[in-house]
Amino acid sequence: MEKLGLNLGYLLVQIFNFLIIFVVLKEWVYKPILGLLDKRREAIAQGLEDARVASEARAHAEEEAAKIRAEAQVEASKIVRDATERAEAAARDLKVAVDAEIVKLREDAMANIEAERNNILGDLRGQVAALAIAGAQKLVGEALDEKRQHALLDEFFSGVKSGKVVVLEDVGFSGDSAEVTSALPLTDKEQNAVKKDILAKVGAQDVTFRVDPSILGGLVIKVGDKVLDGSVAGQLEGLRQSIR
Amino acid sequence: MDLEAATILGKLIGAGLAMIGAIGAGAGIGIVTSGAVQAMGRNPDAAGNIQTNMILGIAFAEAVAIYCLVVALLILFVF
Amino acid sequence: MEQTPKKKGWRWGFNRWLVLLFIVGGGIAAKYYAPIQPHVQLPAEPVPPVTTLLVVFAVLTLALTVLIKRWEGLLMAAFFGVLAALPLFSGFVWVNTLTALVIADIILLLMGFGVYRAIKGGELVPGGMPGAIEALLEALYNLTEGTAGKWTRFIFPWFATITLLVLIANWTELIPAVDSVGILEPAAHGYAVQDLGWAETIVKGEVEHGAEAFGLVPFVRVVSTDLNFTVALALIAVFMVQVIGIKAQGGAYFKKFWYTSTLFSKPIFGVIDFGVGLLELISEFSKVLSFAFRLFGNIFAGSVLLFVIGSLVPVFAQSMFLMLEFFVGLIQAIVFGLLTMTFMAQATQGHGDHEEAHA
Repeated sequence: MEKLGLNLGYLLVQIFNFLIIFVVLKEWVYKPILGLLDKRREAIAQGLEDARVASEARAHAEEEAAKIRAEAQVEASKIVRDATERAEAAARDLKVAVDAEIVKLREDAMANIEAERNNILGDLRGQVAALAIAGAQKLVGEALDEKRQHALLDEFFSGVKSGKVVVLEDVGFSGDSAEVTSALPLTDKEQNAVKKDILAKVGAQDVTFRVDPSILGGLVIKVGDKVLDGSVAGQLEGLRQSIR
Repeated sequence: MDLEAATILGKLIGAGLAMIGAIGAGAGIGIVTSGAVQAMGRNPDAAGNIQTNMILGIAFAEAVAIYCLVVALLILFVF
Repeated sequence: MEQTPKKKGWRWGFNRWLVLLFIVGGGIAAKYYAPIQPHVQLPAEPVPPVTTLLVVFAVLTLALTVLIKRWEGLLMAAFFGVLAALPLFSGFVWVNTLTALVIADIILLLMGFGVYRAIKGGELVPGGMPGAIEALLEALYNLTEGTAGKWTRFIFPWFATITLLVLIANWTELIPAVDSVGILEPAAHGYAVQDLGWAETIVKGEVEHGAEAFGLVPFVRVVSTDLNFTVALALIAVFMVQVIGIKAQGGAYFKKFWYTSTLFSKPIFGVIDFGVGLLELISEFSKVLSFAFRLFGNIFAGSVLLFVIGSLVPVFAQSMFLMLEFFVGLIQAIVFGLLTMTFMAQATQGHGDHEEAHA
């Protein structure tokens, strides 16, 4: 033992030295450091907890935001739909009004055109008669009684012979309203005569007059669904049928 | 050769022979470390645990070499 | 291929020339004053002059305390005073390993005080040196917690104190002048002495006829190369293992050594278990031995290695071995602490585990 250097005195010195160091370090280092570790762990746990709470709050907020956004979208789409509907309605109203306007304008225009044409055709009538008489005089070679000729032509065009409507000679029906179509516009006198005659023969109070040059001459009288064809065109057609 | 010289010679030879035992400890430490390193390579997650046990194993293996050293020191300095 | 930019003046780095200068200087110094292998001996050598040094230190510390007006200085002064008083008023002889122990103690206490002040300062994460110690201790604490579980709080201070003390003690070996500055004493296998004017040194060469031969007794010798230190630590460690075993298991702890419960129920294995128990008792004593001699052997062998290398290859080689000693010191400190901690943790666990392992 001596030669190994082991010595009870030195051994005790070493042991006590270690114990002193142990106690001092325990008081100065380990206790504060363990406290520090605990505090730090607590701080970390606290931080984690805080983070958890924060993330929860964030998730909550996100949910809230999503809800608000959805509501806003619904609101917005409703507003858009309303606006669209209103705009459509307005457009529809406008269109209806415009359509009505257009129809009215067109009708007015048609009526104007009709009247104008009737005027023109009425003016033409006299000239056509004169031309026809002149042509006939050339053809016949002798001058017929001019008055007689006019009467004939008038009869031709108007289908009214000495105050009587030719096609109404032996009519067998009656009606409330009648439509009279002539190749050229009738004079007021003729119209009155036709009216009177129709009232007498058919009993129609309401008589309207139309002009259609394509029937060439005479009258076509429509009472209800019956048509009395006294037109030249109709007679020509009948003639063509019978020739065939 | 006088007795003193013979004693010194014997001490030296004896201490040298005693340290032959360190061969075993060296081989043992090598085996322990090899196994531990392989284990760490296979399972890096357990590296800390393996390391602790490796150091313990090395310490136990080294203890044998320490006994040899003690014997050698005793021979050299005490007897 | 990109051309790497030329490192300007890489050949003219400063530090490498410093290293070269020091190596050359070492060579020149070794030529005139060749390193001499000191006389290797196990016991610590007495160095009475250190007592005077201690008295001087005590007075200096006291003066410093009065100057800076801090009560902690008184503690240090008292420490030095007691140390100086020991040899002065008793038959106590101051030995050179005790000087190293005192150095290690001072370093440890200053360190501890730094940590204490840093933490009392209220910092949650201390910086600098206290921060480094705190990080080291935290690593040790986590290691203990992983092994010892609920006994961590009891085991950790022992583990940490042993590790730190051994670590600092081992590293005093790296301080310059340790093992090489001391007093000259007449020795049987000594060397000649040369007077340098301000100091004397032993030099290689024949002792002149009639003159006395001298050997060097260093003021400081690493405390880990003193068996008293290692045996004291080993005794404390093994004693505390028994203490914690009894604390954790009560009287049941002794069943580990005197295992009779299966002696009659299972005749053959019972006897084996009883024998294993007796072996455990022996192994407790061998633990003291292996603890003490592991540390002592490693550090003592390291010192001898440094002497031998220093005297064989006087230039530069010793630097490498100093680096090796740095690691050996670290590893031995950790091993000492870790083994203590593991034995303590094992002692807290009952014999039940052992039995389960058998079954």
